Amino acid sequence: MKLFIPFPLAFLISLTVSFSVISADAEQAKLSLERLSQSLRQLNFNTSFVVVKNNQAEPYHWFHGVVEKQVDENAAINEEPIELEILALLNGPRRDTLRINNTVSYIEPEYTPYSINTEQIIGPIPTVFGRDISVLENNYHFVSVGKNRVLGRTAQLIRIVPKDAHRFGYWLWLDQQSGLLLKLAVITRKGKLLEQIQFTHLEVTDTISDNLKQLQVAELPKIIDISAKQKNADLAWQVNWLPDGFESIKSDRHRINVNKQAVEFMLFNDGLVDVSVYVNPSKDKQRAIEFVNDGATLVLNRVINNVEISVVGKIPLETAKKIVSSVSFNRQPATP
Amino acid sequence: MSESKFETISSLVDNYRAVDQRSAETIDNMLKDEHLSAAWQSYHLIGDVMRDEIPSALQLDLSAQIISAIADEPTVLAPRVSENITSVIKAKVIQFIQPVGQLAIAASAAGLMIIGVQQNVADNNEIIMPTQIVQTKPLGGFANPVSFNFSQNSKSKQQVALEQRIDQQRRFQALLSDHQQQIKLSAVKKRVDKKSGGALKAELEKTN
Repeated sequence: MKLFIPFPLAFLISLTVSFSVISADAEQAKLSLERLSQSLRQLNFNTSFVVVKNNQAEPYHWFHGVVEKQVDENAAINEEPIELEILALLNGPRRDTLRINNTVSYIEPEYTPYSINTEQIIGPIPTVFGRDISVLENNYHFVSVGKNRVLGRTAQLIRIVPKDAHRFGYWLWLDQQSGLLLKLAVITRKGKLLEQIQFTHLEVTDTISDNLKQLQVAELPKIIDISAKQKNADLAWQVNWLPDGFESIKSDRHRINVNKQAVEFMLFNDGLVDVSVYVNPSKDKQRAIEFVNDGATLVLNRVINNVEISVVGKIPLETAKKIVSSVSFNRQPATP
Repeated sequence: MSESKFETISSLVDNYRAVDQRSAETIDNMLKDEHLSAAWQSYHLIGDVMRDEIPSALQLDLSAQIISAIADEPTVLAPRVSENITSVIKAKVIQFIQPVGQLAIAASAAGLMIIGVQQNVADNNEIIMPTQIVQTKPLGGFANPVSFNFSQNSKSKQQVALEQRIDQQRRFQALLSDHQQQIKLSAVKKRVDKKSGGALKAELEKTN
């Protein structure tokens, strides 16, 4: 007897099958990203990468290692492992970032070296990749695409695809062997490459490298306490539109270090991308929207009625324009 | 210095002399000789004044200004490269990085102009005109005195535009670096971790 399946049912079956394939892909992608996060925290690695944007290449050296805490004789110190990390820009003036567990020190030409009480180094690689990546699930899809050869290794390509048109996508090539990152690209919705990070060397070792051993006994610069300053200032304006999932991280008044301009400031984040909004008085009466791209980072500003509003972040132009035009004022901001 | 050299320059300035072997030599000499190149410059200026082509704001000696500006520019010496990070920190990096910092800012501002970020001005997409328009020989065969400062008037307008553009670039650069700085500062842990954070902090305080 011939088995007859009515068409709608067949369609339904094929639909469920294809759905399950997609969800399997997503599942696979998420597993890979979780593995990346774990590898970034647990492996001893010594790696170099180059950030390519604006026809320029910035080379970095990155060390990471984990050591068991040395047992002290007089105290029963818990056996928690210590994470050590060094990220150094190799061209131009020295910019080193050092980390011992929850203390991150920035050694930069602009400032006296300082430390911050945090467990993440802010560098070219988004910090979320070393953390809980499920925070991205609300705003991004994870898609496992296929295998590739990167840095002489077999790499799994994972795409982090935004659910709306207001952000960029991230493509990650992950080492099949170690789970670590081999290449990262920031891509527009239309598939245009804006910025990429290409690893040029990767070494996973059993013990930590000499640099990290030195760091282990180093005395880091003083921790600056920002938590007091970080109180959310009550500003006389607000941003009325942001893509879904962006949360306010902080708001304050400060001076921009480079030009000593006093600004009112808000910072937003969607788990992957940071967006800054600045408001300050301007000597110009009116200025149309102007912007520059630094790789994927967009800097955009305009002046309306002597008030300059600026938006900075790795977001598409349309998104930034929309954010800028959504800023509204409660009252006239104080003149300097 | 012979008078004839000045004469040659004069006629070269006014384009009355075809460029032959001798004048080529004169140009070579002139480039080496301070007096002769000064003469070249003043002859041009004289010509401009006579033809009433001087711009409203006269930049008498731009090259000298540039040279002195370059000379004033601090030389950026990267801090001594030391592989030993420990020693760098132990030696209180603070003292020796600070003075370099001032210079590095100047350097980064200068660097910006050279590097530039990909420039997009929403309302004004035209390319900057080349600053010097070299006039080719007219078809008639005779050469009128042609000044290299021919486009000075329009150039001063361009200069204003250029300054505005530099201003704008500085503004963008300042915003960009502040954005990055703010992200770093915002990474501070909201809540202090029970053990590890506190323990490490205590340990650090002990060592201080």
